[in-house]
Amino acid sequence: MRIALQEDLNRLQADVQNEGELVLRSLRGAVNALRTRDLELADEVIAFDDEVDGLYFSIAEGIYTLLARQTPVAIDLRVVLATLHINLHLERMADYCVTISKLTKLVAGVEPDEDLVHGFDEMGTRAEEMIRVALASFESRDLDGATSLVDLDEFIDRANRRVLKHVLELGGDEDQREWGLRMIIVSRCLERIGDHAVDIGEQTAYLVTGEFREFTDATHDDTPDRPA
Amino acid sequence: MPATDTVGSIAPIEIAQRERQPSPIQRSVVFDVRDLSVHYGKSQAIKDVSLEIYGNMVTALIGPSGCGKSTFIRCLNRMNDLIPEARVEGEILYHDQNLYGAGVDAVAVRRWIGMVFQKPNPFPKSIYDNVAWGPRVHGMRKGLDDRVERALRQAALWDEVKNRLKRSAVALSGGQQQRLCIARALAVEPDVLLLDEPASALDPIATSAIEDLIHELKSEYTIVIVTHNMQQAARVADMTAFFSLDVHDDGSRTGVLVEYDETPKIFTQPADSRTEGYVTGRFG
Amino acid sequence: MSGTRDSGYSLRPTAQLRRRKLVNLAMEGIGAAAALVGVAVLGLVVWAVAKRGAAALNKDFFTDVPATFGETGGGIANSIVGSIVIVLVATAFAMPFGVLVGIYLNEIAGQRVTRLVSLVLDVLNGLPAIVIGIFVYGLLVIGSGHAAWKASFALAIIMLPLVARSTQEVLRLVPEALREGSTALGVARWRTTVGVVMPTVLGGILTGATLAVARAAGETAPLLFTCSVTTSQVSWQPTEALQSIPLTIFQFLESPNPDDHAKAWAASLVLMTFVLVLSLLSKALLARSRRKLSR
Repeated sequence: MRIALQEDLNRLQADVQNEGELVLRSLRGAVNALRTRDLELADEVIAFDDEVDGLYFSIAEGIYTLLARQTPVAIDLRVVLATLHINLHLERMADYCVTISKLTKLVAGVEPDEDLVHGFDEMGTRAEEMIRVALASFESRDLDGATSLVDLDEFIDRANRRVLKHVLELGGDEDQREWGLRMIIVSRCLERIGDHAVDIGEQTAYLVTGEFREFTDATHDDTPDRPA
Repeated sequence: MPATDTVGSIAPIEIAQRERQPSPIQRSVVFDVRDLSVHYGKSQAIKDVSLEIYGNMVTALIGPSGCGKSTFIRCLNRMNDLIPEARVEGEILYHDQNLYGAGVDAVAVRRWIGMVFQKPNPFPKSIYDNVAWGPRVHGMRKGLDDRVERALRQAALWDEVKNRLKRSAVALSGGQQQRLCIARALAVEPDVLLLDEPASALDPIATSAIEDLIHELKSEYTIVIVTHNMQQAARVADMTAFFSLDVHDDGSRTGVLVEYDETPKIFTQPADSRTEGYVTGRFG
Repeated sequence: MSGTRDSGYSLRPTAQLRRRKLVNLAMEGIGAAAALVGVAVLGLVVWAVAKRGAAALNKDFFTDVPATFGETGGGIANSIVGSIVIVLVATAFAMPFGVLVGIYLNEIAGQRVTRLVSLVLDVLNGLPAIVIGIFVYGLLVIGSGHAAWKASFALAIIMLPLVARSTQEVLRLVPEALREGSTALGVARWRTTVGVVMPTVLGGILTGATLAVARAAGETAPLLFTCSVTTSQVSWQPTEALQSIPLTIFQFLESPNPDDHAKAWAASLVLMTFVLVLSLLSKALLARSRRKLSR
């Protein structure tokens, strides 16, 4: 029944998974460019965003057309709406990768703080893991997988808070201080990527339960950690 | 999800290759309708309709009742010949042949352009004889059993009737009868299938079965469907033609073609405000 | 009716309603009485014929030829055979023509031709049988004598409008959608008529035929002019002048012999039974073909 609708839904979800793959490549590229100060790679990541945008628009148009033609209801409608939101989140993630690369280019001349760069590498790896978990649990409608993203995000959030402390302790000349400020933004980008992954998890939860709720509300405890 | 490269270079060549190629729509013209007008006695049913119908696609005709959709589709297989007061003007080219040209036999026309009607009309014969009737008349006597089976399979009815082919067709349910009528039309292997509101007499589940069937059939046939249910057109059709009524000063009404485009366009951004008024349900 | 809304939606009948109910009851009673009279008439006829006729019925009645003048006994075997032959030949004449005319009227002819021909057939149907009899007499009998087939010819003229009209009516019952379904397959008109429409209405045509046969079997006037100079031998030859049941009844009643009168009643009983059975049969066939069509 409703073969055409099912084909359209399958195609949209396959496209979203492909978009996720593109975002992962973008992220890996941005983090590597940051770590190795590879300006060529940074340029490639920036150019690559057009690819992601192209897929983003294609998916958005596909959703628009599917809603107009197939009038999905119930689970089908939730799938389409979840796909709509996830499409947005992925596109935003790709934009943050571009920001990281642009910042990499801006501070190319400055000697980086090794600890901090290593920290970013770990944050990036964790963010990649979160994206994979988010998309996998969306594909398999795995509620537990989706809710696990909150805990995974904790690491990035804590790392983000440590970065601020670290930068404040850095000091150094004007270039180095500028570098530090820029790196705060990089850290923020990575932290936002993590948040978007959690949002994808929330869409999966909505799809499965039919209820829309945030995994954590804004009033959750944000106090800085004790040193490890 | 596949693992991404840990070594990060994304070559520009890759990007270019993966750039989405817009797939060119292969369109072959099956019907070229030019300035078609139909009169029933003094009143004009449709006026100056021009459009092209493409092969292996589903083309839907939508519009308010009385706007001439059924009149139009019945011109495509010359069924309007059966109505004495009907007068057809204009031209319809079927594979570049004038459908109403001199020397054209209407019976031959209907051999290639089949039709399924709104209310299922199976013959009071057995299921087998219903499907075999067309082929028998056209001299296709060899391999009749295979032909009947293939037609019933194409109509997604085989599994339900394969053990009672000799029973009367009239005993089937409405949805099954309609699929039988489709099988009957397919058995003569036509080029085009015209469907005049095929599901309007059926319940939603039977309707959905017919729509899935149309989706499967379009790879082999060219399909034109009249429907008063515009959501059905949205679901099923590749191209959609919107007909509406022109009201004259003396109160008489004539059907005209308002807009004809790819279905997504008609239902997301129609060019004509009348079309938008109709599909949004704001105006009849 | 039951007061205004303010009076509380009473469900009890008013005086006006009660009066209407009485009128209703009276009309129903009158209608039932009329129907009873109609049924009673048939009942009386059947009863009277049966009572008088049963007395003279025995096996010999069906197997013997009439006794020679003055003697008792004998039967109407020759009449039975003669009637069968005459009616069969008449049916053979009338059926193909009648069916073809019916098909022509409903499937082929335009509206005006159909109206005209239908009118003619209806007039023909109303033509007195004796007029038809004298016409055939003038056409076939003068100068060449009586024969069973000539009687059949006259009866066929009587049967023709019946068969044609009933065929036409039963074809009209076939929904146009059925023909359209066949036409849409690229099937020529005549093939559609023969292959799809006719099989559907076979039952109805049979019904019409049965009714026509029932009518023809009972007509006496044409037989008088075309086949009344008969032998008393049993014969199956249509070229001979065969005796027939209606004529036998007439002749028996004219005879001074009271034994013959009794035989007249008996022959009437035979004829009546035959016609009754045919009528009931035709009703059953019609009901069956209606069921087949109306799903």
